[in-house]
Amino acid sequence: MHQAKLIDSLTYPETAKTHKILFGIALIAGLISLAGLFTDTKQFFFSYLTSFVFIASIGLGCLFFVMIHYITRSEYGVTLRRIPETYSSNMLYVGLLFIPILFGMQYLYPWTDQALLAKDQLIADKTPYLNTTFFIIRNVIYFGIWSFLGYRLYTNATNLDKTGDLSLDAAQRKVSAPGLFIFGFTTAFASFDWMMSLDPAWFSTMFGVYLFAMSFQVFFAVTILTVLYLRSKQLLTNTITNAHMRDISLLFFGFTVFYAYIAFGQYFLIYYANFPKSILWYYNRFDGGYDTMAWLLLFGKFVVPFILMLPAKAKTNMKIVGSMSVLIIALHFVEIYWIVMPTLHKGTAVFHWLDITLLISLSAVFLGLFFSKFRSNNMVSNNDPRLQASLSKH
Amino acid sequence: MSNTTDKTFGILAEFKNPGHLMKAAKMTHKAGYKKFDCYSPFPIHGMDDAMGLKPSKLGYIVLGHALIGFLGGMALQIWTSAIAYPINISGKPFINLPAFIPVTFELTILLSAFGAVFGMFFLNNMPKHHNPLFNSERFKKVTDDGFFVIIESEDPLYNPEKTKAFFEQAGAVHIESIAH
Repeated sequence: MHQAKLIDSLTYPETAKTHKILFGIALIAGLISLAGLFTDTKQFFFSYLTSFVFIASIGLGCLFFVMIHYITRSEYGVTLRRIPETYSSNMLYVGLLFIPILFGMQYLYPWTDQALLAKDQLIADKTPYLNTTFFIIRNVIYFGIWSFLGYRLYTNATNLDKTGDLSLDAAQRKVSAPGLFIFGFTTAFASFDWMMSLDPAWFSTMFGVYLFAMSFQVFFAVTILTVLYLRSKQLLTNTITNAHMRDISLLFFGFTVFYAYIAFGQYFLIYYANFPKSILWYYNRFDGGYDTMAWLLLFGKFVVPFILMLPAKAKTNMKIVGSMSVLIIALHFVEIYWIVMPTLHKGTAVFHWLDITLLISLSAVFLGLFFSKFRSNNMVSNNDPRLQASLSKH
Repeated sequence: MSNTTDKTFGILAEFKNPGHLMKAAKMTHKAGYKKFDCYSPFPIHGMDDAMGLKPSKLGYIVLGHALIGFLGGMALQIWTSAIAYPINISGKPFINLPAFIPVTFELTILLSAFGAVFGMFFLNNMPKHHNPLFNSERFKKVTDDGFFVIIESEDPLYNPEKTKAFFEQAGAVHIESIAH
């Protein structure tokens, strides 16, 4: 039987300046955005929140995949696991990027407004949970947990690369099992805090799952594009083969359906019940330009990828899967925009240049952090006990 | 035993291990035999390619069923709630597509599952109460440690002597004719 061997170089080229270029872009776009902070403060914080949730959700999707991969002792993704591992190891920096939002809370969250609380008893009743102190404490806890999980999984894995100590592989499962349990709660509550409380009168019990479904879908898109980028640089071409890409594309396809199920489920229940308090959230999002985005999400995030990726052959066709990944990442941002922005611009969608500069800035930071870490360690965990099985996949 | 061609089901050859079976499958496919099959106690990765099997048609059967389920579910609900007996439900339109999704979705899934299961039965010629291979004592090993290739007499290239010679060349440890 055929036994594949590791023949690719496992180190990212030292000379590559990818991360420096990205940090440069981030700095320039960030400085331009700073001008917006003084000219249009409220817009700045809303745009910042949108872009922040965009990168944080990618990190969370990656973290979830790494943990589920370890706990199931999976073989299929061992050769490409270092990519999500590296993305999620940067949750600490993502947490640092959350700090500006704490300074913009009075612009973002209506429940910080004492005058509104005096008027609206329903929102005033929520203050035991929705208050500034508890909000900060909660977010410190979330990012503390995610940073720890991401960092621990990453350092265990890179130590395993160097020492070959297999007890580290068992340690990964010991981190992942409680990690997954806590991840579910923290992600759900984070989604309530970041985005649902923008409209404090509204609530949806599906919202945590909704953010998770979005994150996990976009994680596959990001990983696929990262692999395609590495391939374009002739890296790991014999290590991450079409057999691995087929599995990842299959899961990408599957979780596209999962996303659609959750997103539609939330919409459907609220639409059908038609209660004034809950339907208003969707009403504002099917009005004045936001309706176009909603249709775009339905077709671009589900119908088109579903039909194009349905045939078995499409899952190894990197042109189809790659273009669908670009589409999903772009629409993932549009969806967060569609959730966040109607709070600021009710009735008509208003495009602002800050949306773009902050998106570029934060994404470049996120990618720059990825590439600076990715080059400092092996791109594949060479001592993983299941690496051989993964390499021999066909 | 006096076997004539029309009474013989085919020629069965036993191989030592999965590796030999794989090689034999490749050779049989290359030699141009069409009506042949391989048997082993467990699935062997890469066997489909070695035997030159085409991708299964099951996907198209499932797709057909899924489309019938989708269109049928939609048609059923549109006909019942907008044409045959329109009921005003809290002022919503008679043809209320979001509300029709759950039933449509379930019917699509149900018919796809039926298509997958019964389509698999159909493609595998199931249910089949008897297979001439059970006439062979030796074939009982297939659930334990036997690796077999059979070339059926219906194959255009089938010729008792030549096929036996072919198997000998392929490294079979045991060759026998299977009667109907």
